[in-house]
Amino acid sequence: MNSADSKPILRIENLWKSFGKLQVLKGINLEVDKAEVIVVIGPSGGGKSTLLRCINHLERYDRGKIWFQGELIDETSTDMNVLRTKIGMVFQQFNLFPHLRVIDNLILAPKIVKKLDEKSTMEKAKELLKRVGLLEKMNEYPSKLSGGQQQRVAIARALMMDPILMLFDEPTSALDPELVGEVLDVMKNLANDGMTMIVVTHEIGFAREVADRVVFIDGGIIVESGTPDEIFKNPKHPRTREFLRKVL
Amino acid sequence: MAYAFEVTIKSLPFLLEGALRTLQITSLAVLLGLIIGTLVGMAKLSKYKILSYPAVVYVEFLRGTPLLVQIFIIYFGLPAIGINIPRYPSGIIALGINSGAYIAEIVRAGIQSIPKGQTEAAKSLGMTYWQTMRHIILPQAFRNILPALGNEFIALTKDSSLVSVIAIRELLRSGQIVISRTYQSFAVYIAVALIYFILTFTLSRIVRWTEKKVAIP
Repeated sequence: MNSADSKPILRIENLWKSFGKLQVLKGINLEVDKAEVIVVIGPSGGGKSTLLRCINHLERYDRGKIWFQGELIDETSTDMNVLRTKIGMVFQQFNLFPHLRVIDNLILAPKIVKKLDEKSTMEKAKELLKRVGLLEKMNEYPSKLSGGQQQRVAIARALMMDPILMLFDEPTSALDPELVGEVLDVMKNLANDGMTMIVVTHEIGFAREVADRVVFIDGGIIVESGTPDEIFKNPKHPRTREFLRKVL
Repeated sequence: MAYAFEVTIKSLPFLLEGALRTLQITSLAVLLGLIIGTLVGMAKLSKYKILSYPAVVYVEFLRGTPLLVQIFIIYFGLPAIGINIPRYPSGIIALGINSGAYIAEIVRAGIQSIPKGQTEAAKSLGMTYWQTMRHIILPQAFRNILPALGNEFIALTKDSSLVSVIAIRELLRSGQIVISRTYQSFAVYIAVALIYFILTFTLSRIVRWTEKKVAIP
């Protein structure tokens, strides 16, 4: 590994965020290396989603610093739109564009944001749809797809921008149980292909199998983090133990 | 009675010419109203008060004063301070800025009807505010507000009769001219009303057809 690769892709230092009087994040520190898969677990309302949304600046934070690819993200000097093209995000509610066909959901942003030509964008979109197993749905509207299919399209749409980091905000929480597997499979493949990922999820099985590191967040702080084995087999903190007792 | 009928038939080409002018004025005013309404509607939702406050004032003032007075201000009032706008543009501008206020409210509601997740998804792909509006929010919002916009267009078609007071020879004014020559006020006004009805009825059909045509499957 050369020195450029050994630098973390993402570094978060002492991140604080409140909504009105509610303090959601209380000093988060986190480093994410290239190709690392971080799974964030914890009770709802603990600040997991807010953390993700601060990383791509969908949410402004009150205090703290975030470096992405070694560069400090700064409200005045960083072009957030450019930053967001490098950080893909997958939402709990999929958020596909319902007025656009599947294929247009994929090619719109590359075309208007990156100004790429239609032909190469189209080829890439088809390739990605094939990868998530939905090439035959390219001309359908999102409403004709199942939740699992919609989420796979949403992942493909995010990948169209060639992100360096992918954020997953409870990607399977809105899905019927029988549709969870197909989405997790796509995410596993992505992880195996070396994508750097931060995944907020309640899927402990996925965390065990895919995560390089599991981070337990509760009450706005990282209570504990470690390998899946360390966290799931031998949690040190009583809050982690209590949470795992409930979800396992 | 037969004479009244004959007179009306004979004056039909003249009335239809007026109807054509009504259509022209209305469509240009609708276009102006849509542009103003979309921008003002977006401004009303802006987090910047320098945009949202003037937008609120605009909407409240234009909805809170009579259209007839607005027409007088533009055609008779402005020349007094040195701004001369010819008859036709005056009528179109008055109707356009007036309907812009109503359309602004419709557009605002339409934008707010689109789930927040749509904006977030667009932003997360690197789209700017304008790209998000142009490609994601407004296309969906306009589909949702099409029925309300249709009502507004119909109202505007009828309101366009008010510009007859500044001697624009649209449908109503044409009717009045025919009456001044023939004294057949009942028959001619009925004919005028029927032509207005045909215009608005056709318009409402077109709106309904468009709704179906652009509905998201």
